[in-house]
Amino acid sequence: MNPGSKNIRLVQRAQWLIRMRWIAIAFLAAITFFCSNILKIELQDLPIYCIVVLLAIYNTLMLLLLNHVIKTRKEVPYYAVKRIINVQISADLLILTVLLHFAGGIENPFVFFFIFHMVIASILLSVKESYLHAAFATLLLGLLVLLEHTGKIEHHCLKEGFIPQCLQQKGMFVFGTYAVFTVAMFLMVYMASYVAVRLRHAEQARKQANVLLREKDRIKDEYVSRVTHDLKGHLAAIQSCLAVVANETVGPLNKKQLDFVDRAHNRTKKLTRFVRTLLRLTQMRLSDKFEMAHFLLKETIENAVAAVNTKAEEKSIVLSCNVRPPTDKVFGNQFSIEEMITNLLLNAIKYTPPEGTIAVNASNSNDVVVLEIADTGIGIPEDEIDKVFDEFFRASNAKKHERDGTGLGLAIAKQIIERHGGSISVESQLGRGTTFRLTLPKKNS
Amino acid sequence: MENAKILIIDDDPDLTHALSTTLESEQFAVVTAADRTEGMEKVETEKPDLVILDVMMSTWQDGFEMARELRKDPQWSDMPILMLTGVKDKTGIDFKSSAGDPVWLPVDGFLDKPVEPEQLIEKVKTLLAKKS
Repeated sequence: MNPGSKNIRLVQRAQWLIRMRWIAIAFLAAITFFCSNILKIELQDLPIYCIVVLLAIYNTLMLLLLNHVIKTRKEVPYYAVKRIINVQISADLLILTVLLHFAGGIENPFVFFFIFHMVIASILLSVKESYLHAAFATLLLGLLVLLEHTGKIEHHCLKEGFIPQCLQQKGMFVFGTYAVFTVAMFLMVYMASYVAVRLRHAEQARKQANVLLREKDRIKDEYVSRVTHDLKGHLAAIQSCLAVVANETVGPLNKKQLDFVDRAHNRTKKLTRFVRTLLRLTQMRLSDKFEMAHFLLKETIENAVAAVNTKAEEKSIVLSCNVRPPTDKVFGNQFSIEEMITNLLLNAIKYTPPEGTIAVNASNSNDVVVLEIADTGIGIPEDEIDKVFDEFFRASNAKKHERDGTGLGLAIAKQIIERHGGSISVESQLGRGTTFRLTLPKKNS
Repeated sequence: MENAKILIIDDDPDLTHALSTTLESEQFAVVTAADRTEGMEKVETEKPDLVILDVMMSTWQDGFEMARELRKDPQWSDMPILMLTGVKDKTGIDFKSSAGDPVWLPVDGFLDKPVEPEQLIEKVKTLLAKKS
């Protein structure tokens, strides 16, 4: 497991513990007020309110201490945070015991609130530490009960308003309750630790499986990349040789010969394009870094639009571009973004019937620039819309409309946009058109 | 610039053959070399007007190093170098935007392999015209 993520989780849990304590403090103040003033239970108000104030101070100190530990060191020290949690739980148990002393001792049903700390300890700490906390809790309560029972310290009875008579003198009640309490504590730790340990193991196993899967995926990508690269070398030679013949550079061909050579040449070109696209995708998945910089999306969009304009005109498609100024600079690899926008536009042109329209819109939105490419093309069937970004997937109507296509274009676009920390989504109505919506972050994430 | 001499340095004999045939049909004089060493020799002996260079020959980066070596020599510093590459896919590097960088990539033009004859001829002519 990555120690960093383990530490972060522990810190988050320590912060959660502090938040929980704020809630407990508020609850304690409210319940004391309610019991004392409304239910008229005979309570030691003053000491309890004093404890509330002390608790608030103590929690603030813990919060400051935790923040101090996190801020002062680059690496959040695992054991320091763990120590803070241990100290907190021990202090909580002590405070709860003192609180119970002023609120009826073992007669107070809140005695079972010790259990919460056992659960928290089991989740946050090791099994051994959890049992130690359980032992500490039973020891504290045992001591309290014993001292009160033997009269060594004063017992504040909840007689008025809560119980008919002071139960403290009844040895059977006191020790029976205490025995059940002890068993409950240790059982709680046993059960909660059992679940927590299993969960921790399951989480670790899942993480390992993930790492393994990613590694396998990388091996696959490397393999595909090697194979396609070698294929491409041969294809380049074949295509160049065929071009010499097809162009009749080395002498005239008769009509039939020319026809066959042309077919072979064209198929080779398509295969080359496919191999090249596949290579692009696998390479992108394999490379860890992208050279990123801040650049103006407006220029990039205009470049892409200019690059495909002739193709749109050939089909009498109106290609409008509306970059609402001033769109902010985005952070990314300009070359890849331009390539992606160009590919999305080419796609739109490919699947939009003549006389259609394609609209490119860009606008600012908080931390991102939103880019929309909307066409009036053939659309995507509703049940296939989730798969359009899958590798090698081509919508059924797209295949009918245009035989050639690798099914990789949108997968590449998704890969590029995700590398930038952006998102790509699609909306489409069959026969009406398709809109791709992209977001590109303005800042380095 | 008719009858200009072009040196093709590429380790793929089939590709080299096809490219030289294409260029010869346009009345260029073509000489070929299969690796970097032979390429440097041919530069010295044949004194070409333009070099077409494959990025990846026996070892990867051969093409780059050769381009840098040629640029260092004042005798060849203004000879156009056209780099032919299938390497973009291999490295993910955007060569087009780096072309012309005097240190990192001192070449005058780039073409992706495989290259269409028309594209090749046009590029070669442009580069030669620029030089003269």
